[in-house]
Amino acid sequence: MKLIIQNLSKTYKNGVKAIDNLSLEIGTGMFGLLGPNGAGKSSLMRTIATLQSPDSGTITFGDINVLEDNMALRRVLGYLPQSFGVYPKMSAEELLDYFATLKGVASKEDRTKLVKEVLEITNLYEVRKKHVAGYSGGMKQRFGIAQLLLNNPKLIIVDEPTAGLDPAERHRFLNVLREVGTNCTVIFSTHIVDDVKELCNEMVIVNGGRILKQTTPTTCTEEVKGQIWTKVIERDELELMEANFNVLSSNYNQDNTLNIRVHATEKPAEDFKEVIPQLDDVYFIALKEDEANLVSE
Amino acid sequence: MFTTIFKHELKYWFKKPSFYIYLAIFFVIALFVSASSAGIFDSLTVSVGSSKIVNSPKNLNGMFNGLTILIYFLFPSIIGVSIFRDFKSEMHTILYSYPFTKKDYLFGKFLSSFLIVTLIVLIIGLGMFIGFRLPGTNAEIIGDFRFTAYLQAYFIYIIPNVFLFGSIVFATVTFTRNISAGFIVVVMLMLIQGVSESLLNDIDNRLISAMLDPFGGQAANYYTRYWTVAEQNDLLLPVKGVVIYNRLLWLAIAAVIFGLVFKYFSFSQNAASFSFKKQKAERVTKSNFGGITKIELPKVSYDYSFFQNLKTTWKLSNIDFKFIIKSWPFLSILLVGLIFILIMSISLGEISGTKTYPTTWQMLLYPGSTFSLFINILTFLYAGVLVQRAKVAKFNHLIDVTPIPNWTLLLSKFVALLKMQLVLLFVIMVGGIIFQIYRGYYNFEIDQYLYELLIIKFVYFAVWAFLALFIQTLVGNAYLGLFILLVISIGLPFLRLVGIEQSIFKYNQGPGYSYSDMNGYGAFFSSYMFYKIYWIFAGLVLLIISALFWVRGLPHSFKERLSIAKSRFKGVYKIGFVIFLVAFLAIGYRIYYENNVLNDRVSIKERELLQVEWEKKYKKFENKTQPRIVAVNVAMDIFPKELDFKATGTYIMINKSSEKIDSILLNHNNYPSTFTFNKKNKLVLEDTIHNFDIYKLEQVLLPGDSLSLTFEVKNKPNTFLRIHSDVKENGTFINNKVLFPSLGYASGGELRDDKIREKYELPKNELRPFPTDSTALGDTYISKDSDWIDFEATVSTSKDQIAIAPGYLQKEWVEGERRYFHYKMDSKILNFYAFNSARYEVKKDTWNDVNLEIYYHKGHEYNLDRMLEGMKASLDYNSKNFSPYQHKQVRIVEFPRTEGSFAQSFPNTIPFSEGVGFIADVDDSDKGGVDYGFAITVHELAHQWWAHQVIGADVKGATMLSESMADYVKLKVLEHQHGKKKMRKYLKEALDDYLKGRTVEKKRESPLMYNDGQMYIHYKKGSLVFYALSDYLGEENLNSAIKKYVEKVKFQEAPYTTSIEMVDYIKQATPDSLKYVIKDMFETITLYKNRVVDVETTELENGKFQVDIEFNVSKYRVSDKGKRLYGDKVGDTLSYKTEKMKKPIMSLPLKDYVEVGVFYEEEIDGEKEEVELYLKKHKITSINNKVSIIVDKKPTEVGVDPYNKLIDNNSEDNRREL
Repeated sequence: MKLIIQNLSKTYKNGVKAIDNLSLEIGTGMFGLLGPNGAGKSSLMRTIATLQSPDSGTITFGDINVLEDNMALRRVLGYLPQSFGVYPKMSAEELLDYFATLKGVASKEDRTKLVKEVLEITNLYEVRKKHVAGYSGGMKQRFGIAQLLLNNPKLIIVDEPTAGLDPAERHRFLNVLREVGTNCTVIFSTHIVDDVKELCNEMVIVNGGRILKQTTPTTCTEEVKGQIWTKVIERDELELMEANFNVLSSNYNQDNTLNIRVHATEKPAEDFKEVIPQLDDVYFIALKEDEANLVSE
Repeated sequence: MFTTIFKHELKYWFKKPSFYIYLAIFFVIALFVSASSAGIFDSLTVSVGSSKIVNSPKNLNGMFNGLTILIYFLFPSIIGVSIFRDFKSEMHTILYSYPFTKKDYLFGKFLSSFLIVTLIVLIIGLGMFIGFRLPGTNAEIIGDFRFTAYLQAYFIYIIPNVFLFGSIVFATVTFTRNISAGFIVVVMLMLIQGVSESLLNDIDNRLISAMLDPFGGQAANYYTRYWTVAEQNDLLLPVKGVVIYNRLLWLAIAAVIFGLVFKYFSFSQNAASFSFKKQKAERVTKSNFGGITKIELPKVSYDYSFFQNLKTTWKLSNIDFKFIIKSWPFLSILLVGLIFILIMSISLGEISGTKTYPTTWQMLLYPGSTFSLFINILTFLYAGVLVQRAKVAKFNHLIDVTPIPNWTLLLSKFVALLKMQLVLLFVIMVGGIIFQIYRGYYNFEIDQYLYELLIIKFVYFAVWAFLALFIQTLVGNAYLGLFILLVISIGLPFLRLVGIEQSIFKYNQGPGYSYSDMNGYGAFFSSYMFYKIYWIFAGLVLLIISALFWVRGLPHSFKERLSIAKSRFKGVYKIGFVIFLVAFLAIGYRIYYENNVLNDRVSIKERELLQVEWEKKYKKFENKTQPRIVAVNVAMDIFPKELDFKATGTYIMINKSSEKIDSILLNHNNYPSTFTFNKKNKLVLEDTIHNFDIYKLEQVLLPGDSLSLTFEVKNKPNTFLRIHSDVKENGTFINNKVLFPSLGYASGGELRDDKIREKYELPKNELRPFPTDSTALGDTYISKDSDWIDFEATVSTSKDQIAIAPGYLQKEWVEGERRYFHYKMDSKILNFYAFNSARYEVKKDTWNDVNLEIYYHKGHEYNLDRMLEGMKASLDYNSKNFSPYQHKQVRIVEFPRTEGSFAQSFPNTIPFSEGVGFIADVDDSDKGGVDYGFAITVHELAHQWWAHQVIGADVKGATMLSESMADYVKLKVLEHQHGKKKMRKYLKEALDDYLKGRTVEKKRESPLMYNDGQMYIHYKKGSLVFYALSDYLGEENLNSAIKKYVEKVKFQEAPYTTSIEMVDYIKQATPDSLKYVIKDMFETITLYKNRVVDVETTELENGKFQVDIEFNVSKYRVSDKGKRLYGDKVGDTLSYKTEKMKKPIMSLPLKDYVEVGVFYEEEIDGEKEEVELYLKKHKITSINNKVSIIVDKKPTEVGVDPYNKLIDNNSEDNRREL
């Protein structure tokens, strides 16, 4: 099943164009939405998840016209928002049973079976009797995954799920997500490049409500092979470098020197070394290009 | 730093639209209330007319404070929120690490929000000020603008109250970090105030209640409660004594509360919390690292059908319901409500200190209806909480993306609200039963509880739940929603003020119901339910609109919500909306049709205009001579099952005048009737609006000639919406005045208020003529078309009932399903009779050769013996002291309390409400209250003499001859039963009622012998006066004077007797030294101010005690213009002043005899009893008096006029405890 977004636009009351004439096709598998904070990722995802309606454009998932028949989409949708709370004084088991009911699981037996299964998948079975409100961040995110599994979704939307998780939790979370995503479409937004690198077979880079680049993690690094250069500089030289080269990123070394990465088709200067492109580089290239377009506009 | 915080807070509010919304709402409400009280809507509705100035300081203070009460509900969201906002936005995590002091923070927050509230209150003052002066208000009832009055109300009452309640709410919210906690506290405080007010309502508790009222209203009332209308219009509220202490007390309490906040507040990250469960500390570690799971979800079936959604609705409602009943706002209001029920039950139906048995209807009526208020508040509140629940928990996005339709979510909230209401209704029943058990009353009428609570009341609350959910969905802020709902529910009844009178235009209004043991709920069900079905359809329409506006997903602007609602308005929603709306309109039209087309609906305004028209058109006939009715024979058929009646009757009339009578003026009602005279005549005027007809006789009726009128009267057929008769299924009570025609113009329908009369160009209402007007003595005050009549009646009813009319039973028989009773009176009676019918039990006894009978409702046996005793005692007293009883029988006939709480004496028959004695739980001990069943019986029996033997002419003072005398007999009988010492409680109560009555006099108070039928004069003052007189003249002396009078005037024909004649007889028995008493008590309005100033007791060598008492006696007279007079003529005023006094005490000249008493308390059988050591009348000639009395025992109390026999404007300072 394919999610097809066409000419989607959404402008907020305060004048911010959160989605700007965006078109996109997403197939089965893990799909990464990469973009800085405020790029419009959440707006896009909430629009797909039927939580807000766009000003114009269409969204279809398989033969479901999402904007016309949002109920049909909700039946096959699993959604995990960026942050969420829960009703206090309710255990994971109770809350999941509550969700299973909302998602149309009619029989009590079915619900029990299903809830037990998702609790085990997310490794929450041990703490199923505990109030979810008292869960730690990672446990709560896993609970979020547990609830989205309940309707056996075909389209899963997770909005920045790994933000704030410790490395182990993050790792575990991504594993679960990947497993879930084998047979369906998973849209996954993040501003962490590594998440995409590890998980996604397809991705887009978005900013300012537009798609800057649609690609896959492997091909995109292939594309810029031989175009990424690095050099160690002094702190004071940075401005000069930025003026002369397309500096993608600069990281401090321990001795207070900077490690800069530069995008150029030719070796920019003698003291630059070629490096293997990282996804980060692609990401920054895209953002820089967009910035340049904005200026020229 | 303080300034920064303070300014920041103010800026926040000044930018917030809600601040201006509140300002606007309060301004409009204040404008509306003040303008309508000042008569701005006179063209739409009934004229506001009175001698009361609406913006007098007292009224202004009451209105200002009353309007302010609504603001208390905003405290949580203004004062409470000032600190709560920082918690909610989690700003406090950053803010509390900043370098400002507790003082800056707390004062900045509190004072800024306090200022905001005072500004909103100020707008009320402005609204009132403008409202009183809007063009169109009635300038006559508006006094000058008095800035001091506004200042007083604002600074003495309102600001301290805002400070007190504000700091309580501030404290609560600060420590709990929970807005609803602040809200609950407000509700509780109001409750506590209500409870203490009702508990301390007793005369003896006035000082305590004045001190304890946190609003200060009772403190003001302490000084103003006996203010006459003139004083109310004129005087500023006193700022002295109790008022100051009260204000200081509560300000201190507020300061302490704020001080506590200051002391215990700390910049901590977590709210103060307590838990009953000990939390076990546990070390938390993680163990779930790594590992990929193979995911295979079990195959389950998904069901998105309508039926499944309904099931889901139920399940979701259970979850919300559990949330409600476990939440502590609910639990605390519930607890307070329960306590409230129990407290309310304590003084259940108390009359004159005597309780009633806690019957189920009383449990439902008093505590039950107060608790209803809580149910409504909880409904309003929780509608908002449930609507906002997911959003507040940030849980909404998870729910919103599930395939659950909006209506399921919305409906589940509605069902949860209904379940909550059911629980609360059930609590009323449990509370009621607990209380009944506590009182040892075991007649549990569970079925009645269930019927009223789960059917009648539940429907009512459900209709409110619809509106609550609707408003809360639209508003999106639970507390603002609550406020709007409160304004709506409080404001609906006031729509009457702008002329919106019909229930169908006012949400959830409709016919009410009331219960009596005799008649149950009566015939209300079909119309009640029809209105409720009507409102349920309105509710369903609202529910659909709520679903259209239900927020799913991100919050939207209202414009977006509108367009979303439009796009949702299709399919089932559209069909449902149309069906419900059509049903609503159709039912509404049916009701409208019944009330406006099938029947004439007369609005209050139209009624006023009709009254004007009636007087203008027909007043000219007032003195037109008419024949007098001399005999009445009626056949009255009562149909209790069908609630119908049919009556036929004949009047025999004689021209008793010396003039020829050419036409008959027939004044009748709007029942379908026919009238036939036995002499040829022509109907020359038929007024179907005023039901006033003129028949011109073909041949004039010569003096001494007779004429007969035969009439037939029945009610219009009843419909399911309207009953057209006063017949009850069990307990019919109808008198002749509402059923049968009368002759001539009746002045009872005239407008009384002079200011309104002026508006319609009617002359001032002269009321009744003075007794000195010899031309006005032709009619009794009971009837204008007859003197004494022969009476005969045949009454029929259903087979299982007994029907009663005055007279003696001649014959009783059964015909088919009907039972007939033929009554005939053997002597002449007044033209005043009634019909009763019910399933009666009968209790019989005799007194001499008079048969005593009580017709009562089965189950109401409690006080029958006391009533029989009362009948005997009254028969004894009256026949011994005045004249023999004229009948051979007395019957007390019970009627349902829904017909009124009174008893009324007809010839040999006394209909007696079940509410005023039958279920009294009399406590015969000293602490017990008045045995009012007994007392009322004595009073009503006395009317067989005082009205049915001696009846005054229809002039001023007539009721002194009936009501004052009947109440005098009551006091004397009580005195003979209980002893003189027990009389103080009756006298004090009567005095208090008289003084309170004066404060609501619309015209002008008259002296007793010229009273115009005011109850506070003829009952209360009258009984006190005659009682005091019997004390001064001696009972025997007074009564024998009255006996001579009775002998002269009883059963007399016109001209009828007057109060002057009676007072003349009394004067003859009065020594000259006491003539002043007659003048003070009968001829003028004279009030004493007697008080004990100082007492000293010294033990003498012989073991006796010398008591030195200093006391003041003074009296004043109220002039025709309402002024206080301290002298009969220039220069005879007494005056007394000590150095400490600012103003001298003044008095009329004194040659008065005033009792001085010394008492001590003795323990008899473990009960403390008061014993008189000394009681004697002293001749008093000056204001300040000192007497020295030697008594045998050590006194405990002394007093001047210690039994309150005199009319004294403060009954509390007559005694002094030692």
